[in-house]
Amino acid sequence: MNGTLRDRSAAAFAAALCFFAADAFGADEVPRKAEPCFVCHGLGGNSTIPTNPSLAGHPAQAIAMQLYQFREGNRKDPQMSPMAANLSNKEMNELAEYFSKQKATPSGHKTAPENAAAGPKLAQEFNCVQCHGPRLLGQQHIPRLAGQQHEYLLAQLRRFKAQTRADLDGNMTSAAQALTDRDVEVLADYIAGLSAQ
Amino acid sequence: MLRSFRTFASPAVPALICMLTAAAAQAQAPAAPPPWKQGISTDQANSTLHPFAPHMTGRSSKDLPLDKLKVPAGFKVEVWAEGVPEARSLALGDKGTVFVSNRLAKNVYAVVDKGGTREVKTLLKGLNSPNGVAFSKGTLYVAERHRITRYDGIEASLDNPPEGKVVIDGLDPQNQPGHFWKFLAMGPDGKLYYNVGAPGNIVMPGYFQGTISRVDPKSAVVETVAQGVRNSVGFDWNPQSKQLWFTEHGRDWLSDDSPSDELNVVKTKGQHFGYPFCHQGDTLDPEFGKNRDCKEFTPPVLKLGAHVAPLGMRFYNGKMFPAQYRNNIFIARHGSWNRATKQGYDVVRVSFDAGGKPKMEPFLTGFLQDEKADPPMWGRPVDVLVMKDGAMLVSDDYNGIIYRISYGKK
Repeated sequence: MNGTLRDRSAAAFAAALCFFAADAFGADEVPRKAEPCFVCHGLGGNSTIPTNPSLAGHPAQAIAMQLYQFREGNRKDPQMSPMAANLSNKEMNELAEYFSKQKATPSGHKTAPENAAAGPKLAQEFNCVQCHGPRLLGQQHIPRLAGQQHEYLLAQLRRFKAQTRADLDGNMTSAAQALTDRDVEVLADYIAGLSAQ
Repeated sequence: MLRSFRTFASPAVPALICMLTAAAAQAQAPAAPPPWKQGISTDQANSTLHPFAPHMTGRSSKDLPLDKLKVPAGFKVEVWAEGVPEARSLALGDKGTVFVSNRLAKNVYAVVDKGGTREVKTLLKGLNSPNGVAFSKGTLYVAERHRITRYDGIEASLDNPPEGKVVIDGLDPQNQPGHFWKFLAMGPDGKLYYNVGAPGNIVMPGYFQGTISRVDPKSAVVETVAQGVRNSVGFDWNPQSKQLWFTEHGRDWLSDDSPSDELNVVKTKGQHFGYPFCHQGDTLDPEFGKNRDCKEFTPPVLKLGAHVAPLGMRFYNGKMFPAQYRNNIFIARHGSWNRATKQGYDVVRVSFDAGGKPKMEPFLTGFLQDEKADPPMWGRPVDVLVMKDGAMLVSDDYNGIIYRISYGKK
């Protein structure tokens, strides 16, 4: 599995170099450890796969925290767990730093008009903005939600509600308990369509 | 379900936050506030205050503004060890090993001084919020969320530690929300002292919650030493009187300036220190304090400041610092989050005049960069430890660093 991923990542990286040129990455050098991430999370950490999250433009601490959660076995995923298993703290910090500096591109998600109207009220009522910030761009160890992949958001909210998604401090698990299934759908649809900047 | 839930969701960052069971129970009642806002005042309903989480992967001291740290004239502060992720409580072995705990992570580390450099070993893994560490007569004791274990002869087997033997289990029979992590210390009476915090910000504790208790490691018999203690994550004994002194966190979401956190002393076993009825010795709780009187309860010796989160405290019994520092108390203030203008994030010194009146002054400062910023600090002191040579160690869980404060040329 690792071998396969590595092969695919090399191809993806080559493609990245060809048509993204230098400006997609700015002046930052791409750490070698970041190359395999592109396969699933997109070039520069902007995912094009609906079930996979974008990493670009998250706070560095939030990225390092999730890598840590995967390595420690608190958060489990058949793809991510082995990828994180052998990363050192230093490598996690470097990856986090790199992806935090990449420009987040729009997910292309189009929010239904009724959800665009209802979303802000729910985000306030259910305290999303309290931790994720007024525009849901994340802060410190809290991830960016705005413009994230829709299916990914939906899946994570459902898992938090089902109490099966790892959670450092229990905050998200407890916040999700108050959501109805309909609230989850509205929020995911609303948040995915927000500007990622 | 409950078991796996505990495994991943057990650690809670802030004092008030994760009353998960309460959350599940309240999910049917749509009007109920989310648990982490429990007890919030109407004035603060739209507050954007939030707790801070440590960098679980640690940070390198090279990336930190160490030159901002300040100690009194004649003292020196330096990095003693780094790469100790989420360094929390400290305990000193007979042979000089420094044991370091975790709260959100699952490890206990052993830091060994190799004459100028420090080696950090991950000694124990896979524990359940092992916040409490104590060392006595060759044995390391560890307080996890639900039990206390012992590791005999630990300093001879740092690379191959034995399985822990249970001193007492069942300390968390209901998987309590709120303050479930434990501080641990060995008393002069040979008993292990630990806290059981309140299961939330401002709630009625169960009968052995909101206490400091002790267990005799030989018989496993438990006694309640102090009640009405919202959460204490630091205590020590006065070297002369042998009385137990402890720090205590006051409730959140009352206001920016009230109530104050506390420094307390236990003079009689079983004394009640007020929670949830009376805060800081003189302020009745708006809900639980109705029909009560603060005179019923033991007031603090000293108010340590609102929301400053006092954690580790030790009496200074070393010989390196000047004579006037002897038997002073040093307290690590982990720092306020539940306050618009931040304070704390330091180590304070508490000295006493001839009449026993306490005075608090700054000792180690500089972690707080901008009291209005988010985050306001770059480091957070958790525990203090007096070493054999009289130097003092300070743990910082935000960065995974341990600092050393020395006096004179040493």
